[in-house]
Amino acid sequence: MAHIHLGEGSFPLWALVLWTTLGVALVGAVVYRIRKGGIKTHQIALAGIGAAASFAIFQLNIPVWGGIHMNLTGLVGILAGPLLGALIALVVNIFSAAFGHGAVGLLGANTLVNASEAIVAYYAFKTLMGIDWDVFPASASAATLGLSAGAFLMGAIIVISGVNGSALPRGDLTIAVAGLVGLNLGVAVIEGILTGFIVQFLASVRPDLVGLADRDTKEEPTGVTA
Amino acid sequence: MQRWKQYGGLAGLFVAFLAAGYWGFTATGGALPWAKRSAKALQRGVQEGGGSLVDFGRGIVVAGPIRKGGVMLEFGAIVLVLVVLGIGLYVYVDRYGGFEDGERPVR
Repeated sequence: MAHIHLGEGSFPLWALVLWTTLGVALVGAVVYRIRKGGIKTHQIALAGIGAAASFAIFQLNIPVWGGIHMNLTGLVGILAGPLLGALIALVVNIFSAAFGHGAVGLLGANTLVNASEAIVAYYAFKTLMGIDWDVFPASASAATLGLSAGAFLMGAIIVISGVNGSALPRGDLTIAVAGLVGLNLGVAVIEGILTGFIVQFLASVRPDLVGLADRDTKEEPTGVTA
Repeated sequence: MQRWKQYGGLAGLFVAFLAAGYWGFTATGGALPWAKRSAKALQRGVQEGGGSLVDFGRGIVVAGPIRKGGVMLEFGAIVLVLVVLGIGLYVYVDRYGGFEDGERPVR
């Protein structure tokens, strides 16, 4: 659920330029990879559903840990892959910023944060499935690890940038940010469990959607009826 | 891998992260919504806070900027469009196997 909720003008100009440049570079690299390597059409469909689910849940404040929102970026990464996952992070952040949920100037930083969650979750899931883990622990762990990566990146971005108007010296700011990162780790557990159940359900009904079976070898109906 | 090792690892990860979450909750002013909590912590530093970890009485609410900004209708419309588009794409691809002949890379 990592997301920088500071208002416009919270970061100094150089930081804004830096994170926006890195965000544009990431999106540029993703688009280049997609154009060069191509993507399967069913992934585009999954990305559409993933973007809808992520955007909707992004705006819902749940009454846990004081009041937080989830992202589902771990789930999006596992289902749509790291490339489309990064693009979904961009789209969700653009829509959210348009509604005032997150600053427009922080689009680059927030896209980096959320894209890192999808990318780490995807590769963690693949790695854990590769060493023969069951679907639930693999997907729950992967989503939790992905979200924690985003939380740490969010913290690093804030500490490196500094916050305009803050009365805190850099050391105290780091401690404050550590508290926010810690809180994010707690939320990652909730989202990790939710992701685990969703991926396990999908794996039981459509294993091809989570890369556990080839779409071309999907079982054909046998024609046997009751 | 043995199942107890998988779930043991998962449980260990969860315990460590929940402990970090609880510390973060109390250290950053507990029971404040995330946006207010982060702004407060970053402007004035960490401070002990209280309040319940779970507050079902408040329920699930839409984010403040949307709820208070009077754009609930627009929010609902965008969600609806995305859902219809996503499910429509999924059904189309599932039924016809892709947008063109065969499953070839998008150029």
